[in-house]
Amino acid sequence: MDQVVTFLQALLDQTGAAHFSVGNLVMIVVGTTMIYLAISRHYEPLLLVGIGFACIVANVPGPPDDVPGGPAISALLYAVKEGGLFHYAYEGVAKLIIPPLIFLGVGAMTDFGPMIANPKLVILGAGAHLGIFVALILAKLVGFSLAEAGAIGIIGGADGPMAIFVTVKLAPHLLGPISVAAYSYMALMPMIQPPVMRLLTTPEERQIPMAQARKVTKREKIAFPLVIAIIVNLFFPPVAPLITMLMLGNLLKEVGVTDRLAKTAAGGLMNVIIIILTVAIGSTMAADRFLTWQTLEIVVLGLIAFVFGTGSGVVTAKIMNAFLKTPINPLIGSAGIASVPIAARVSHIVAYQENPNNLLIYHAMGPNLAGVFGTAISGGILLALLGVG
Amino acid sequence: MSAIVPDTLEGALILSLIDFFLSFVVISFIGFVLAGFPWLNRVFERRSPGAEPLRAGRAASPAKLAAQSEIPPEDVAAISAVLAMVVGDHRILHIESHQRGGDWSVAGRLAHHQSHTTVRTPKH
Repeated sequence: MDQVVTFLQALLDQTGAAHFSVGNLVMIVVGTTMIYLAISRHYEPLLLVGIGFACIVANVPGPPDDVPGGPAISALLYAVKEGGLFHYAYEGVAKLIIPPLIFLGVGAMTDFGPMIANPKLVILGAGAHLGIFVALILAKLVGFSLAEAGAIGIIGGADGPMAIFVTVKLAPHLLGPISVAAYSYMALMPMIQPPVMRLLTTPEERQIPMAQARKVTKREKIAFPLVIAIIVNLFFPPVAPLITMLMLGNLLKEVGVTDRLAKTAAGGLMNVIIIILTVAIGSTMAADRFLTWQTLEIVVLGLIAFVFGTGSGVVTAKIMNAFLKTPINPLIGSAGIASVPIAARVSHIVAYQENPNNLLIYHAMGPNLAGVFGTAISGGILLALLGVG
Repeated sequence: MSAIVPDTLEGALILSLIDFFLSFVVISFIGFVLAGFPWLNRVFERRSPGAEPLRAGRAASPAKLAAQSEIPPEDVAAISAVLAMVVGDHRILHIESHQRGGDWSVAGRLAHHQSHTTVRTPKH
């Protein structure tokens, strides 16, 4: 009889069931919630479905690792091991191959016309980044090193590829929790931003109409990526790979003679990159690595960064109104946090709820696009001052 | 390359202040450059004979419009005919592809979209 029990026990040990923990259950709930929010609330489904699925599968334990008596790892994590498909997916993130390719696709999809049409609104792209520095200082206060604090702070830039880029350079060991926090909060911006925006504005301010912006010519749209690429490469070499690819993608879109390349960058290539990126990020969410006190601190600091970034954007817009002849709607200030086009959509929706005749989406896209450059500038200065070229 | 800022709380404060301030300076510089873009348009329009604006009071011929705007002559003729039917005596100043000058058509679509909203007046 003892022999039978021993035999069954050995058999059970070869399955994942024997290694299932409460932490795995918690992370499966987290992954399921992500997929629920993507499907039922349409919160960035392109990101959350992949991250949520990979999170769930990464927390279903498989047999023990190659080492006898070693930790149980999921089938997905087997694939992440050296030589596996997702190992190379993760390497693409860690080796900074994927973030520039994402920016190439984003550039090929984006019309920078709203930013060119109303240059004074680009100030909001800097104003909405106070969250980066609040989170940085708080992270230092709770015991992170300055490099780690800088990487945590950049979550407040609400720019996933930039957060990955800066984290790999400053604190690569925090890549998992920081990228998860950045992408999760970006997806949850429709829940995080509106209460802050309403708290800092009056109903009258939320109804301020904005005049139609001037028409931007094709000539300007072609000049824009060239000029910005020169400025960024000249003054911010640490983040030049990202912005250069963003501008290349945009140039392919605007010149009108490279439609095939622009469509590939914005379509097929971008979709492949999203699949690889989301699975690579989700696969880092195994309970034993993710459910730590440090991760919890990063997640809380990331939320603080988003809240302060949203608030500082709105306040910057209100300060600008004190100097402008024609006031701007302060709700577009929160769009300066980047995260194109989620933050602009949130500004538009909050204004629309206040007054259905006030459509802010075009105006909010200006600071929203400027926010991408604001995050790049902040990240570039961080890397330069922290001695990372 | 070594860190310029010390790894202390004071260092974090200094880093934040410098970074936040410089972000404003640089983004303002980008805004300043963008504010110069309309000037770029004016310079190129002056140099480009094809973009010479039509003089007031003189109607452009469909052939000239077609040559200027790279729109097929038959399209210009069709647009002229439709305009003559709808608005009577007219002159066309400028025709361009709808993808290039989308502002007015976007405004039209937004107005149409708003006409379907259930609440038409602002809440007070």
